[in-house]
Amino acid sequence: MVNIIKEQKGNSITVRMVGSVEESVEFEQLIGPVTGELVVNCKEIPRINSVGVKGWIKYFQVLQQKGVKLKFVECSTAIVEQINLISNFVCGGSVESIYVPFSCMGCKGEFIGLFKTDDLRKLKFQVPELKCSKCGGKAVFDDIPEEYFGFLER
Amino acid sequence: MPGDAQFAAQAAAASGLALRTVKRAADAVKIVAVEEGCVLLVDASTQAHYMEFERAVQETLGLFSSRLSANHIHYLSSGDIYEVPYLIQSPLFGNYIHRNFELDPNVGTYFGRILGATLEDRAFGCERMVKPGTKVQTIQLRLALQKQEAVEAVRNYLVALKFQSRMATVIANAVDEILMNAIFDAPVDSMGKHLYESTSRATNFALEGPRAVDLHVAFDGEYVALTAVDLFGSLDKNKLLTSISKIYTEQEYRVKSSVAGAGIGLASVFHSGGSFFFASESGVRTEVTVFFKRCDSYREFKSQFRFLSTQFYF
Repeated sequence: MVNIIKEQKGNSITVRMVGSVEESVEFEQLIGPVTGELVVNCKEIPRINSVGVKGWIKYFQVLQQKGVKLKFVECSTAIVEQINLISNFVCGGSVESIYVPFSCMGCKGEFIGLFKTDDLRKLKFQVPELKCSKCGGKAVFDDIPEEYFGFLER
Repeated sequence: MPGDAQFAAQAAAASGLALRTVKRAADAVKIVAVEEGCVLLVDASTQAHYMEFERAVQETLGLFSSRLSANHIHYLSSGDIYEVPYLIQSPLFGNYIHRNFELDPNVGTYFGRILGATLEDRAFGCERMVKPGTKVQTIQLRLALQKQEAVEAVRNYLVALKFQSRMATVIANAVDEILMNAIFDAPVDSMGKHLYESTSRATNFALEGPRAVDLHVAFDGEYVALTAVDLFGSLDKNKLLTSISKIYTEQEYRVKSSVAGAGIGLASVFHSGGSFFFASESGVRTEVTVFFKRCDSYREFKSQFRFLSTQFYF
């Protein structure tokens, strides 16, 4: 189930989706009519199942056809996986920023770091190490670079 | 190929089979022609390798010979499942093993338990596919909408077992997909027509009698096995293999409004690192089991050894 927090500024609507995207999510009812620009904050989407993906694409494709400018920001790891798996997942929209997973070499803790996609391209996907906030150890990127950042090369 | 011999030796030892290695497919098929209870591990690295095997079967036994069941043929390939359409489309497809042995030198022993299960009359029950003595827990779903509770319960259980939270989420998603298939795709009428093909997956209804769906969960300290059980036995092998090997990284995913399902669930589970074991007895029962290894890092989790096994009984 997803909750939506909506903010309108001029012709641009920002929606923050909170919760797992699955069969019960009705995007049209939750977000309502959109014209101009829609910014979708995906930070708090921990999980999306196949029927959720289908509903997502169905909804955003309609907006794409209406000429709505779509931007996806703060994409969670679950959303990044779908962007990589399905070529038309963002329906012509742009992916502005994503969360990148890290794992601490010391305490094995999991972390995520927010990166702008433009910066990741400049870094050629060589993500810098982070300092673990729990133990101060070295936290390294924890996924397969060619897969996690694959969509940036499309 | 490097690693194949060790893998086969471990798998044979764990399943109680004697191992014989031959270089030519024709020699293997000749053994099958005269000896009972053979299981084949076939190097299918290229289409040419596969075709050599298919020709040998055709010439010695015939493709549909009762001496050789597809259930007992295991193809070893270095290519991903979508890179081996010649296997997926083969009338001799039974099992696919993705050759990534390097992360776990003892993976043959793990697979040997799977192999052992395929030797049984019916490969039902995940308890024989995990380490002996592993406790199997059962969640009985009696309403379609209990699926989400079961998915969350599994996720929380895995986190408690020290799976990374991202791994636990991926596995929970796999459970979501296999349960959704058991609840909505498995039910058929007496003519084989799917009862809920166009029913919204958000619909609630009772899962009673033949519509009952169970979820079994077993963790043996290394691998977690999760099985969705339905009592229809309606799994279609061709449809299954087509959907599981489809990728949308290049082509577009097209939304079909005529059916309520998405058709991408199993493929995404397989891509995420899970292995599949499908056992289906026509008109009786289907069990779909996913396996995941608990790994130290997500990178390792995603690169883990994988297989896709299909066991069909008619």
